[in-house]
Order: sequence, then structure tokens, then C-alpha cells
Amino acid sequence: MWARAAWPAAGGYYRPRFPLCYPPPRMATSLLEPVSAGQTRFRMQGLAPDARGIAVGREVLVTFPTIDWLVAFLGAFSDESNLDDLLPTMTLEHSRRQEGGHAILLRAAAGDGYAVDRLARIAGATRGQLFTGSGSVFVRWRGREAPFGYDLVSPMAASGEEVLVVDIDYVATYAAVDRMDPVELIQRLQLRRVPLPLSGISGEAERCGIKDLALALVAPGLASRVLRHLWRLEANFAGYYVTLEGDAGASLLLRIRHPRGRVLDVLHGTPGVELLAPASSRAAVQLGYRHPIQLASASACLPGEEMFLFRGDVGRVERLPGPPRFVDGRHLVEATGTAHLRELGQLREAELEPLQVELQVRPASNPREPRGALIAWEQVALLRHLVYLIPPSALAASRVVPLDEGLVVITGSSIGNRGRAAAVAGMGAGAIVPLGRRLGEVAPGVLVADGYELWPRVRPALTRQLLGLGPDDHALFLRPDTDPIRVTEAQLLPLDAALIGRLRLSDATTVAPELPALTPGQVENRKLGRFALWGFGGPPKGPEDEGRGQ
Amino acid sequence: MARSLTELLDDFVMPLLGGGPLQVGAPLRARDLPPMLELARELQRPELRFLRLRRGQQLVADPELPDPDPDELQLWAGLYNTLVFEHPDRRRVWSRASVWRRVEGTTRSLLTLSAPASVGEALMRHVSVGAFIDLRRHDMVVGLPTGGELRAMGQDLPRRILRVASPADGLRHEQVRLCEQLASLEAQRLLEDALRASPLTCVLRPLVAPPGWSPLWAADAFGDRAMVRAICHEWARQRDWVAVGGAVTGALLPSLPNPSRARPVPREGERLALPGAVLPTDPDVLVGVVGALIHLHFLKVVELDARLGVAAASRDPGVTAFLALPLLLPWLGERTGSPLGGVVQDDAQRPGRDHVDAPIARRWTEYLDHLQELVPRSAVDNLLASLVSRIVQTP
Repeated sequence: MWARAAWPAAGGYYRPRFPLCYPPPRMATSLLEPVSAGQTRFRMQGLAPDARGIAVGREVLVTFPTIDWLVAFLGAFSDESNLDDLLPTMTLEHSRRQEGGHAILLRAAAGDGYAVDRLARIAGATRGQLFTGSGSVFVRWRGREAPFGYDLVSPMAASGEEVLVVDIDYVATYAAVDRMDPVELIQRLQLRRVPLPLSGISGEAERCGIKDLALALVAPGLASRVLRHLWRLEANFAGYYVTLEGDAGASLLLRIRHPRGRVLDVLHGTPGVELLAPASSRAAVQLGYRHPIQLASASACLPGEEMFLFRGDVGRVERLPGPPRFVDGRHLVEATGTAHLRELGQLREAELEPLQVELQVRPASNPREPRGALIAWEQVALLRHLVYLIPPSALAASRVVPLDEGLVVITGSSIGNRGRAAAVAGMGAGAIVPLGRRLGEVAPGVLVADGYELWPRVRPALTRQLLGLGPDDHALFLRPDTDPIRVTEAQLLPLDAALIGRLRLSDATTVAPELPALTPGQVENRKLGRFALWGFGGPPKGPEDEGRGQ
Repeated sequence: MARSLTELLDDFVMPLLGGGPLQVGAPLRARDLPPMLELARELQRPELRFLRLRRGQQLVADPELPDPDPDELQLWAGLYNTLVFEHPDRRRVWSRASVWRRVEGTTRSLLTLSAPASVGEALMRHVSVGAFIDLRRHDMVVGLPTGGELRAMGQDLPRRILRVASPADGLRHEQVRLCEQLASLEAQRLLEDALRASPLTCVLRPLVAPPGWSPLWAADAFGDRAMVRAICHEWARQRDWVAVGGAVTGALLPSLPNPSRARPVPREGERLALPGAVLPTDPDVLVGVVGALIHLHFLKVVELDARLGVAAASRDPGVTAFLALPLLLPWLGERTGSPLGGVVQDDAQRPGRDHVDAPIARRWTEYLDHLQELVPRSAVDNLLASLVSRIVQTP
């Protein structure tokens, strides 16, 4: 150790003086030495190489200067990893350093080198220092100068309950002052405020964590009103009454599934109603607050089957006995209505005659697509010429009815097979034939002269029913002053068949070849007599044979 | 056979032309013909004329057949007598060999006709001779217990044999083409005489034509457009069309007069010989024959894409010359015309013509290239000296 030097008076110069009673100065010696690669034997008990050759003790010790950094360490670790891995073997001690000062010591079982590396990284970020060892002696964790860790230069041992922490150039001795239960610590942690969305929680329900499920703790005096309100809004809710510690009456804990924005806004703005967002299956945190530790990854810190409600406004953690047993909302509300429904018994046989009116034809100005035409008999000859202009699809869908008034051409009725064909064909022949009086369709199969309509305007199906029409019957209102005409399906003649004259076809006559194909001849040898050459024997005698055959 | 015209027509001529069984019996004598000609109206029977017409229409659509005349009757009688020599009962006839020679001479005299004067007359002879070549004969054959077989040619087996014959004896029926299986030498010689009487048949069936035949005998036929078309398609219809073309070409080339062999000048006082058969060597006739042969190449190119594997192995000079004919087109093209030339001129305005003609023209060009590799240059040079020089003026 260097002795404190005495400074000379002004104008003099510094000259160290060593009194004879002091021992001579010594060079600094290291307490730890780096572990070499492949080293398997260590001076410190409890160290053992892992798979990578890093010297890892059975425990790790993390020292924090204050408890705030400890909480920060736990929060960071729970964000990154599962705190349940650390909690079963974790102990927290408030220790006093023998050389002076206090520290929070966190001890836990060490895993392999990777887990300790992660702990060291998080501890370094939260002002902590990590050591490894076992029992009461811990050495510094590996660093850049010693990638395989450190070992003691000379064996050391702590006395009593003290913990000896050995670094490269110093040794610290800690004595436990107080022990803390980590679970209790986590439960007692103060919630931290988080800002709520400016647009309200109804629009940011997912960000607040209450989109699918929200919990509401209702003060005892508001329970019935809140229930009535939720029932009126047809919210999907359930709840049960819990007695909180220190309260005289039972509060109502509600569970609202898929709450609507209106419900959330009302509940959030109501004094005495606290909205809680579920943090895990058995923990909920009040809306506007956040627990320093991720409770979803720290189920071990919520022992038993109790439910924990972290209330930020009042700074309390409510531990509800037993698992929550919600009751459906319809059992929680009370019915106050007194009206009773009465079954209708016998209808009164009322006289409806005063209501009945007559179906009449009256002039109208609304245009209708012509679905037919009434052609006077004098103009039928013109129709015969116009047939050549009608498109084939419209011609096939058209039918005619010969009446005394004239020839009715129905081109686009919406009933019957031809009517459907006409609908497919598009514009009918009635729209093309510029003859006669056009007929419009006011109901399926009910044709009224153009410029008129049926009054009152009853339903089309009812119109057919009132007229007593069959499924394929048509009703023709040719003139307003005449009675309608019923035309049955059998009376409708196809237009093309009625107009086209009958053709007579001559039967085809097939001509079969009378003679077979020429074939080669077949030689048949007749029986040749013994005198077949009669007449060839002699020499030529006549003038005919002269010069031949010789 | 009763020696009357009616029976001759009913039993022989009508079945010969129209198909069916024709009866062959005793031969006709030369002196039997004059009585027949006295009934010449029998030759004008409508059914006979109709059968002749149908036979002629197998070749051309509108045949100009002259009416049956004594020459045609003489030809029928000669054909009839030819069949007598194939009669199985010939040995049963009591006669000497000299008598049979006399019968052969008579038949040959019947078949000796002058050259046809027109296309119609040539067609008329082909109607009969062509049908004669196509004649069939129904034979019944049965195996003998002693080995060998017994063949009833154009007859039924005797009933005594049929009675004991069983299927185990191998009784079978055979259809025989008569002209391919002539057993007697006399019939073979007479068939050649019959073919000489019908030059058109020789042109259409050059493989059965007699030796010394020349396509120039049917020079008139090569001047008729419809007839040439029929000839070309008849050639192309046959499976061994290269051999057919080779036979025609092989018969054509020797018949060309040799200009180096000048006609000897008769010495004074020597007896003048009658002029023999003089073949027409007019360049137009030669152009017709050569053009038909070249067109045969083109037809097969259009039909088969002309696979010439068999022809390349043939050493027949006629086949070689036939294959060399399309290579003469650069010299003969002006006279014969190109196979594609007429198409271009006639159908120039037809839409889509290029789509059809382009592949054909390409294949024809490829075929010519193939022939150029196949045919030796000497064959082309020989044709240039012998054939082309008679058609065009060669350098």
C-alpha cells in the first residue's frame, strides 16, 4: 500500500518520505488467475468445466447496489426468459459488506455456461456483478481476459455465514442482514403507470390488452347499476362477488368477453369501477398500470390457485381466495317487469266487407316494357311481312291468340317455358312489331293495355290469385271498359308455327346400284369330249382356211 | 361348245367382261367365225355394250369405244381357244400333237390383229385382254393317300373322290390367277400374242408384257390426256411401281432407232422387202411417254414421300434409267413441263395454295436430290445421248 504522501510547503518540492516503521511497498498481486483451455482441476472447490471448458460453479451470485436494480434485473430477465426457471432456487439477501456498504445478493443455482452468460449480461445492464462459485466463496465470472473463467490463486475460505466474493484484485466479505422472499417481493412491487391512449381505450382495446377479455372490479354500491347497464347493452359478461380485505361489502368482479367500446368507455369513466387487463390466467393488472415483471412468465411467483388483482390506484394486490368462479350475467340481473304476454285465442269474425274495393283499370303514365300487342285483323297481313324482321329467339318465344278484337301476340310473358326463353332472349317481338296496341305486364301473365294499370296496386301474386288464374293462364285487359279475358295454355299458338305455311316434303328415294361391281371371270372347264378337235385334223381344204392356222 | 355366236357371248364373252363363270370347252375353228358374223346383230346386244362400257370406264370416265366388230370377235375367239390349252381334259382328246399345233396356229392367227388405229380401238382390245389377264380359276385340291395331291382345275372333283374324301385329306379350294400359272407352253405363247394385239394392256401391265414390247406401240394413248392420266395412276396403284416404271423404260429405250445404224440402201435389182412395223419416234410421242414416267415419280412423291430403299438395290438398267428420268427435267422441262409447273399456272389464284404446294415442292426437291445421289452419272449421260437427243436439241 502506498502511504499517504505529505505535501511540502509552498515553494518546495514533493519528496516522499518513508518512515522506518512502515514496511517496504509491495507489488500488487492478483487474487485470481484465468482458467486455461482444457483445464479440469481447479483450486477452488465447486468449480467444474462445462461442455465448452468454462469453469462454472454450482451457484451464481449477483450483487446489486440497491433493490431497484434488483427489480430491474428481474423485469429484464422476465422479458427475455422465463422467470420460473430462476425462482425455485433463487434467494435474496440484504447483506452488509464488511469493508463498508450494503448490497443485495441474489443467489441461484447455476446452469450451464450459456445460462450464466445470459445472467451476466442482464446483470451487467442493471448495475449488478455476477460471480460464480458454491457455498460461501464466489469468484468473478469470465470476461474478455479470461474466456474460460477464473480460479483462485490460493484457496480461500469464509468464516461462518459470511460470503466471500473474490475479484481479481480485491476480496469482499458479505454478511447477510435480512432475507427476502422473492415471491413476496414480486407481489409487493409497486405498479408503474403507463399512459393511456389519447383516443380512449375503446379505440385501442387491443393495445390495452382488453380486446378479447376485460375484468372489472365494481365497488359494492355500484354493482346493481353496472349489471343493469351491461344487461341493457347486451354485453357478454359474467361475474361473482368477492369480499376484499378491509371492505365491508362484497365487490363485484366482472368478466366481459369481447367488450364493445361503449361498454369500456362507460366502465372506465365510472368512479368505483376499475378495469383490469388480464396479465396471465390468474393475474390482472389495472388498466393504466404495468407490473414491473412480466407476470405471464412468472407463474411461480403466484402460488396456489388464487387470483391476483394488481390495483394501481389504491396500491394493493388483492388475493382472491380460490380460482375465479364466474356466474353468467343473466343470473346476476333481476327482472323487474310486470307485463305478461297473452296468447291470442279466437279471432273475431269481423266483417271485412267495408275494406274491400274493386280492382279496376285506370290510366297510368308510367312506361312499361311491351310484352305483347293486340293487332287488328286488318293489319295481320302487315305482320306477315314483319315476321322476317323478328329475331329468331324472339320469334320462338312468341305466341298468338286469335280473338274477335284481333290477334294478340304475347311475346314476353314471364310465365311458362316460352316466357323463360323470352327472358333469356332479351327484347321480345312486341317491342319490335310496330303494329296494334301494345300490352304491358302488370303481374306475371296479366297483360294490360299500354297506358293503363290495375288499381289498387296489390302484390303481383295476389293479383293472379284474385283473378283466379291457373299456373299457366293469362289474363288480358285489352280495353278499360271491357272485361278481362282468360287465355289458357292450350289456346296459345306458337307464332312461328301459326305463320309459316305447311311444307310438304317429298320422300327421299334411295337408289341402289343395280349392277354389282365388275369382278374377274371364273374359268370353268367343261367336260372335253374325245372328239373335241373334230374339224382340225385335216389340212386346209377350203379357201377360208387357206393361210390360217399354219 | 356349240359353235354359235350367242353361246360364245353368253358362255364366254359376257362372263369375261362382267364376271362370273365362263365355260371353256372345245376350241373354235377358223371356219366357225363366218357363220357367227352372219349374226352380227348379236354383237350389238345392249348388255354386251354396257359391259364393254363399264370395263372401259374402269380406265377413263368417258371411253370412246367403237362398236363390236369382226376383229373383236376374232380376238374373243382367240382368247377362248387359248384357254382350251389349259383344259385339264386335254389329254383325253383323241388327237395327235400335230393337230394341237394346228389348233395353236389357228388361235395365233385369230389373235394376230393389226395395230389399233385409234385410242378407242386400243381401249376396246384392252377391255377384253385386260379382263382375260384378270381371269381366275377355282381349283379343288385334295390330298392323296399315296402322297401328292389331286387338283381339279376349274372343275369339281369327281363324286367318287368326294365321297371318300374327308377333312383329314385336306380338301381345299384355291383361287388361281390364270395368267400367272399357265401350265402349257402353247397357252403361254398365245398369251403373248394376245398381249401384242393389245398394246394398251402392255402399257398398263408392263410386267406381263411380251418380250420385245415397246410402249411406243400405244403411242396414241400417250397423246390422250385422260388416257395418260389413267395410265399414270394405274402404274402408281401397283405396289412395285419402280419395277413397273423400270419395265416401261427398259422397253422404251431399245425400241428407239439407233441413228448410228443407218438404213442399208437396197442394191439395184434386189427385191425390196416389205416394210416392217415402224414405231413412231415422233418427239411428241416420246415426250408423252417420258412425261408419264416422270409424273409417276411425282405421284409417288405426293403419296408416299418416295422411299426408294428397294430401288437403290436394283441393278436392272431399266429401273436405273427410270430413276434417272426426273434428273432429265433441266433438259426436257421445256417440252414435258415440270410436275409443279401446271399446278402453279392453274391454281395461282387459289387461296391457301402456298400452304399446300410448299411441302410438296420441298419434298419433290428433296426427292430429286436423293435421286441425284442414287443414280450414277453414267445413266444420266446415256439417257442424254439416247433419249433426250431425240426430243430436244442437246448441246
